[in-house]
Amino acid sequence: MKAQPQETETTDKWEVQLRKGCLELAVLAALWEGKLYGLEILRRLESDSDLVVSEGTVYPLLSRLKALELVRSEWVESDAGHPRKYYALTPVGKQRVQEMASIWTRFSSSMGKLLAPVGKGR
Amino acid sequence: MADDAQQKIEAYLETLRRRLRGMNDDDTREILEELRSHIVDRATSGGGMATSNVEAALAGLGSPEELAAEYMTNEALARAEVSRSPLRILGSLFRWASLSIAGFWVLLGAAIGYFLGFAFILCAVLKPFHPQTAGLWRYSDAGGSQVSLRLGFSSPPAGAHEILGWWMVPVGLVVGIGLVMLTTRFAIWCARAYRRSHVLPRG
Repeated sequence: MKAQPQETETTDKWEVQLRKGCLELAVLAALWEGKLYGLEILRRLESDSDLVVSEGTVYPLLSRLKALELVRSEWVESDAGHPRKYYALTPVGKQRVQEMASIWTRFSSSMGKLLAPVGKGR
Repeated sequence: MADDAQQKIEAYLETLRRRLRGMNDDDTREILEELRSHIVDRATSGGGMATSNVEAALAGLGSPEELAAEYMTNEALARAEVSRSPLRILGSLFRWASLSIAGFWVLLGAAIGYFLGFAFILCAVLKPFHPQTAGLWRYSDAGGSQVSLRLGFSSPPAGAHEILGWWMVPVGLVVGIGLVMLTTRFAIWCARAYRRSHVLPRG
């Protein structure tokens, strides 16, 4: 019983790392169907996946993806009266997200097999 | 728009701007404009530019200090991956070193690599101007035998003899350029490995 809080903390940390690791793929995937601005990306991530994303992580990540030329950006005037910065995948970015998606699929299906008995054992 | 809300936004962005030192002006301006538009959108969708909505939008972004650190780490790593110029690589490693111990060791290794590389190149270049004194010299003293690279601005110690002679020019250039290239690869490799282990697990 004593070890309980510590265990929870370790699991939490692991979950944070796991979510963080998926974020790059999630952001690139959100852009698959077309250009979006930062807040739209955040909303897409929240509605289409239950990835709870901190806003302070997504904007720096977008700027790195841009520096790596996986996405490009443009400013578009909006009805709201101020311009918004839209992001879209570059050809390299499209290729990258496809590669990452296939790795992800392979990885999650082998993990699924491995985890099946653990789920049943509950 | 409430003045108070506007002031809160400006204060937040000003702190962030001051923390984004070393980033070029265009990038900084883009970041600030993008975040300003995010804060306004967020607050508006929360019901309007009331102070409480603006405060919630700012809280969602985290403290300006943490946000700036996140930008700087991402920027430094991305730049090290894209750039191959030693100066830019050292610049971004310097920033990385200020953020983590791993970055410090990589910076140290890269600095030694570049220093030795450029010393060899410089020695090769100076050899024709100081034919008698520049080059790779070996001499023995109480501490044993030593090898040293001399640029030829002063006389070598008594009893020393030169190892390479005119071979210093081609050997110095090849070894020097090789070291600079290897160091660049090393730095890029470390930046990738670090980024991979911290941000993205790849198969």
